Amino acid sequence: MEPVSAALPEKINFSGVGKTFFVRGTEVQALQPIDLAVRAREFVALVGPSGCGKSTLLNLVAGLLQPSEGSVTYDGKPVQGLNFRVGYMTQKDTLLPWRSAADNIGVSLELHCRSVSKAERAERIAAMVDLVGLSGFENHFPGELSGGMRKRVALARTLIYEPETLLMDEPFGALDAQLKLVMQDQLQRITQDRKMTVLFVTHDLGEAIAIGDRVVVFSGRPGRIRAIRDVTLPRPRDVFRMRFSEEFSRLHEELWDELKDEVVKGTDI
Amino acid sequence: MTGRSVVSTDQAVRTKAGERRAVLVWQIAFGLGALALWELTGRVFGSTWTSLPSQIAQRLLLWGGTDLFRHVYVTLTEVFVGLALGTVAGVVAGLALGRTQTLALVLRPIIVTLYSVPLVTMAPLLILWFGLEMESKIVLVTVVVFFLMFFNTFAGVQSIDPLLVTTLDLMGATTLERYRKVIAPAAMAWIFSGIKIALPYALSAATTGELLGGSYGLGTLLSRAGSQFDMTGLYTALIVLLVIGILLSEGVAFVENHLLRWRHVAE
Ligand SMILES: Nc1ncnc2c1ncn2[C@@H]1O[C@H](COP(=O)(O)OP(=O)(O)OP(=O)(O)O)[C@@H](O)[C@H]1O
Ligand SMILES: [Mg+2]
Repeated sequence: MEPVSAALPEKINFSGVGKTFFVRGTEVQALQPIDLAVRAREFVALVGPSGCGKSTLLNLVAGLLQPSEGSVTYDGKPVQGLNFRVGYMTQKDTLLPWRSAADNIGVSLELHCRSVSKAERAERIAAMVDLVGLSGFENHFPGELSGGMRKRVALARTLIYEPETLLMDEPFGALDAQLKLVMQDQLQRITQDRKMTVLFVTHDLGEAIAIGDRVVVFSGRPGRIRAIRDVTLPRPRDVFRMRFSEEFSRLHEELWDELKDEVVKGTDI
Repeated sequence: MTGRSVVSTDQAVRTKAGERRAVLVWQIAFGLGALALWELTGRVFGSTWTSLPSQIAQRLLLWGGTDLFRHVYVTLTEVFVGLALGTVAGVVAGLALGRTQTLALVLRPIIVTLYSVPLVTMAPLLILWFGLEMESKIVLVTVVVFFLMFFNTFAGVQSIDPLLVTTLDLMGATTLERYRKVIAPAAMAWIFSGIKIALPYALSAATTGELLGGSYGLGTLLSRAGSQFDMTGLYTALIVLLVIGILLSEGVAFVENHLLRWRHVAE
């Protein structure tokens, strides 16, 4: 596992990237300058207390924000304007309320630049509906779905066009523990199959270890990288049982020590 | 969990339908009562100023045999053609200005100034320009509807969640696709509420134009009856207008309920 990814080229690079927002005259520093390199096909999980700049980091990669300092490069080139190489599943749900679940999932395939035949679109939508376990709800509007179901529609919508890089902002936060494991398993499979690069934000340290090749722990706001650990557990991983492995517990304990202080600090402020 | 919620919405729908039926029954009873009272007071105290429901009914039959439908047809044509033209123009302008900051800054003050003039006062001018027949009234309706639709669409477009647009943009949507897939469908809701607001204005613009002159239309029927002191004629024309107004707004509400099903779901 490790040697394979080490040989692969760098996909995303943050060098000295910081972000400061100006809100009605006051400065809010969201990210302290950070350095991080993500290799192609790497699955990087980001954890950290609320407000530490995780979503901001993804927005920088997607080109929705410009860094206040430093530079973000994608395939060696600075990100300028929207980055069409990424599929972004945002933290806030952005389903189109007037479209059914199936039509939301397939919307990217209707676009000129990704257009496919009607039959192929229907087939791929059906496969995605199946993958995220929404059979029977294809024709429901987002307003008729539960929060977790909406998240799954958004996930399917992002996966269906197989972007080269996935940016995922707490995709499984609204799911129950069992479904979360199932979705982690599916995500692992699909990203391995399609050789995707993934930046995955989560609040759940166990999830980060279970699914990531690397786990990056952020400090509280303004965010800075507090610890990075490789997860050397071999793939494909059994997300249902790996929690009982020794390496998992060791990593969990180690990273929890780092995260714990930050979470406590975060709540103090 | 889903089972229970389905049952409860079913019950809600059923009680709602029941309530609506009860309301309808009361409304009809109230209407009939008012008519009976009108007839009675007219017969007791004289009907010079108020006419009588029975006379109005007779007049309705009489007109129905001659050219009532031609009058209705002319008014409705003015309303619908003007509504269509004004809606298209207003929506296009609203979409364009709502999405283009500089254009909005330049044109908005002009449009606001124009809007603050009561638009039906343009009727005499338009009649001089476009003649006494349908054209001038169609233009008047178009102008009135344009402004209403413009403001509704303009405000609506600016309230679209920019993240919805960004999501599609990131997938590689072109500008046209962004309009077709996000902005236009989102705007449908305000377009419909705009049409609902604009309909009575369109009807009143058309009849106001007709009051000033013309050979057909419910407005001409009204002004003719007025100049001849024909109370029954006045009331009959008014009642026909009332019925048309009700049917039009009910029609829009019906279409809206069907096209914007997702919206009722979300509420
Ligand atoms: N558009 C914005 N304008 C102003 N301030 C912002 C904006 N976006 C984020 N911030 C600020 O930047 C900080 C980091 O925000 P961000 O959304 O990246 O946090 P996060 O790590 O994703 O938190 P959470 O886990 O709660 O989602 C926050 O403190 C917030 O106040
Ligand atoms: Mg966030």
